Amino acid sequence: MVGFFLLPMVVILTYSLLTRGTYGGLGLPWTLENYQRLADPLYLTIFLRSFLLAGVVTVLCIPLAFPLALFISRSGRRKLLWLNLVMLPFFTSLLVRTYAWMFLLRDTGLVNAILLKLGIITSPLPLLYNDGAVLLGLVYSYLPFMVLPVYATLERVDPALLEAAADLGERPWGAIRRVLLPLTRPGILAGSVLVFIPSLGSYLTPDLLGGGKSILVGNVIQNQFTSARDWPFGASIAICLMLLVFGLLRAWESRTGEGIE
Amino acid sequence: MKRRTFFLGMAGLSGCTRDTRPRLNVYNWSEYIAAETISRFEEATGARVHYSIYESNEELLAKIFSGNSGWDVVFPSHYYVAPMQENGLLAPLNSSQLPLLSNLTEDMQHPVWDTNLDWCMPYMLGGAGIIHQVSLKVEEPSWQLLWRDDLRGKVTMLDDPADSIGAALLKLGYPLNATESTALEHAKQELIRQKKILRAYLNSESRQALVAGDLLASHLWATTSLLAIAETDQLTYYYPREGFARYADCAVILKESKRRDLAHEFLNFLLRPEIAAANAKAAMTTTPNALARELLPPSLRESAVLFPDAETLALGQWFAALSPEGQRLRDRIWTEVKAH
Amino acid sequence: MSLTLRAMAGVIFAFLYLPLGALIAFSVNDSASTVWEGFSWRWYLELWNDPQILNATANSLLIATISTVLSTAIGTLAAYALWKRRSRTLITTVYLSLVTPEVVMGVALLALYQAVFRYLDIQLGMHTVILAHVSFCISYVVLVVLARLRTMDGSLEEAALDLGATEWQAFYRVTLPSLTPAIAAAALLAFSTSFDDYVITSLVAGVDSETLPMLIYAKARRAISPSVNALCAIIVVVIGTLVLLAQRLQKS
Repeated sequence: MVGFFLLPMVVILTYSLLTRGTYGGLGLPWTLENYQRLADPLYLTIFLRSFLLAGVVTVLCIPLAFPLALFISRSGRRKLLWLNLVMLPFFTSLLVRTYAWMFLLRDTGLVNAILLKLGIITSPLPLLYNDGAVLLGLVYSYLPFMVLPVYATLERVDPALLEAAADLGERPWGAIRRVLLPLTRPGILAGSVLVFIPSLGSYLTPDLLGGGKSILVGNVIQNQFTSARDWPFGASIAICLMLLVFGLLRAWESRTGEGIE
Repeated sequence: MKRRTFFLGMAGLSGCTRDTRPRLNVYNWSEYIAAETISRFEEATGARVHYSIYESNEELLAKIFSGNSGWDVVFPSHYYVAPMQENGLLAPLNSSQLPLLSNLTEDMQHPVWDTNLDWCMPYMLGGAGIIHQVSLKVEEPSWQLLWRDDLRGKVTMLDDPADSIGAALLKLGYPLNATESTALEHAKQELIRQKKILRAYLNSESRQALVAGDLLASHLWATTSLLAIAETDQLTYYYPREGFARYADCAVILKESKRRDLAHEFLNFLLRPEIAAANAKAAMTTTPNALARELLPPSLRESAVLFPDAETLALGQWFAALSPEGQRLRDRIWTEVKAH
Repeated sequence: MSLTLRAMAGVIFAFLYLPLGALIAFSVNDSASTVWEGFSWRWYLELWNDPQILNATANSLLIATISTVLSTAIGTLAAYALWKRRSRTLITTVYLSLVTPEVVMGVALLALYQAVFRYLDIQLGMHTVILAHVSFCISYVVLVVLARLRTMDGSLEEAALDLGATEWQAFYRVTLPSLTPAIAAAALLAFSTSFDDYVITSLVAGVDSETLPMLIYAKARRAISPSVNALCAIIVVVIGTLVLLAQRLQKS
């Protein structure tokens, strides 16, 4: 049974290799300089921007995911079917989904074509190549990750509670606010983590939809390993990101007391 | 038990080849070769060519850096040749195996970056200028067009630090390869200023939008521009009078290659006039092959975009390889521009 | 269920499917623009005639299949071990793999290969891609299988052991059969993840190993054309079918 430790160990080994890389994997003397370079307002700003973007994506996902999850949990026998339908787009490649948005949003794309046809606008709107497009793409890509955990917690809510709330004179919206939301908090938190983390490190979506005008952590890392050819520096950024993510996870884990299920 | 079968499987796969012909692995830019060139080479030599493409020098470099990528012939831009050679990645070229080198134009037989062609063979030349809609009023061919406020939201620059920082430097009157921090700071400010009217940093993606009329002016390479102009007569191209960047994509043989003779044959094959002409026609690029130029159709042979007159050509500057500090400074400037 | 809820859910569902639907719809459009000009299969024919696409598809399928087999096997065993013994390092590794941004993972693997290749005479190629895919697929497999294991009653296995079975026999005859649906689901999850992957593959691919996502990316960067739509449509349909299959299996 020792065999299966092999590959995960390779992954860990890779990370330790990265550390060695930051200390000079390409012939430079061993140094902490790469980490010091990071303590620069420029990179801190980029980290901050990435956090902010990931945060917005996460916050946007919540009001979108909730109705979906609620709908599924009340679908009786067809629950599993609806669940699968929600997860289905997620399984189609991230690349395909991002490309789909390129197809829709570009100046000669479908959205503009429809708006032009309907006479709502007279010239195409610049929908693509900006932060909004990136936001849209990211929300679209990671929404299912929020739906699943919220649905899971909804399933454990006793329907009698909702009935009780209704009996006590609460209108449906109030019932949701006062009863459901607090109960589904762990699900929302879990979903937030599942959305936040990939959004933070995302590279492909901002690359294709953002028009290269803004730069996020994922882009910087990738950049270091390609055009800048500064592998040690890139590695140090990657390690920092990993540590941040790991720290977040641990913090969340200690608060909720459960692992990722 | 699982581990053993795993390793056996791997060994089996990597040893698996049915074809016994000698094989050459060629890695080139996309849309940079005529469709028949490869098959004609295979017929002529009985070898098999595996041809794949990349979109940027950095992509290429990342792959071959280990010295064990599997590629034999690659086509870096000229300013990468010296760094690659210094990193021990290249095999020296044997001129006795390349008799057709004399087909190249005089200046390309002794280029600035490799005077005796010890390491590389110029394959295609290019430049980066400005393409714009004919309907636009342009008083003089200048970089200023891309900074004009009335073109707000309809201009793009190349998503390449060397090209875009270079353009800003040239616009401000600095040399293309300036490394002093004052010059670069100045260029950085210029680029940040431009971002307000910039639609995006795009490479060949801008071509579609230009043809459709959604973009008014773009910083674009000559070859891509020609491809766009071929699709519509509403576009035109010029080289800015402040100067423009020139580059040459050169064929090199990697040191790791075990088939250097075959690689040399391939390079020599590319130098044949009819082959070089076919490639230049397909890629719509400037060929450094004098004999091939004669064989091109007049529209390409006399094209001011591909073969600018001597006066314009004099304005061109070659990219130079940067020192690590220079590279670092440039990269930082680029990150700052993007982060604003 | 109230009408407003249905309406809201409906809108969001539409949001989820509109982009993909548009892609597929326009892949059978006769013209290259967003103007509908009639139904046509020509873009699919174009794909069929393009050797590069066929080659890339073959590569993707091969890589995905091998990666799936390996990662499912290793992942299942890992999940089993985790279920029996709580191992801090192992579970941390699984977490780490899951939350690592793809670009970091890809870059780490590339760095590892570069270092290893200086000493061993191997090259980037199918095997490096497969190794990379197995690395990140394992965690997904572990997740799915472990979740199922945790809902299972361990006493059955204990009973088998008491009756004189060896540990391996207990696993093979008692636990494994009831795990099969979960394993199948995990395998399909691994397959689709591996098939889809772009970021990691592009970083560690070598001479022979151009995969379908890499090709799509290259084409998407250059131009948005219906043949790319068609390609995407195929992927959506194929993966979609696989996923639905997986869920069916998991239900039973």
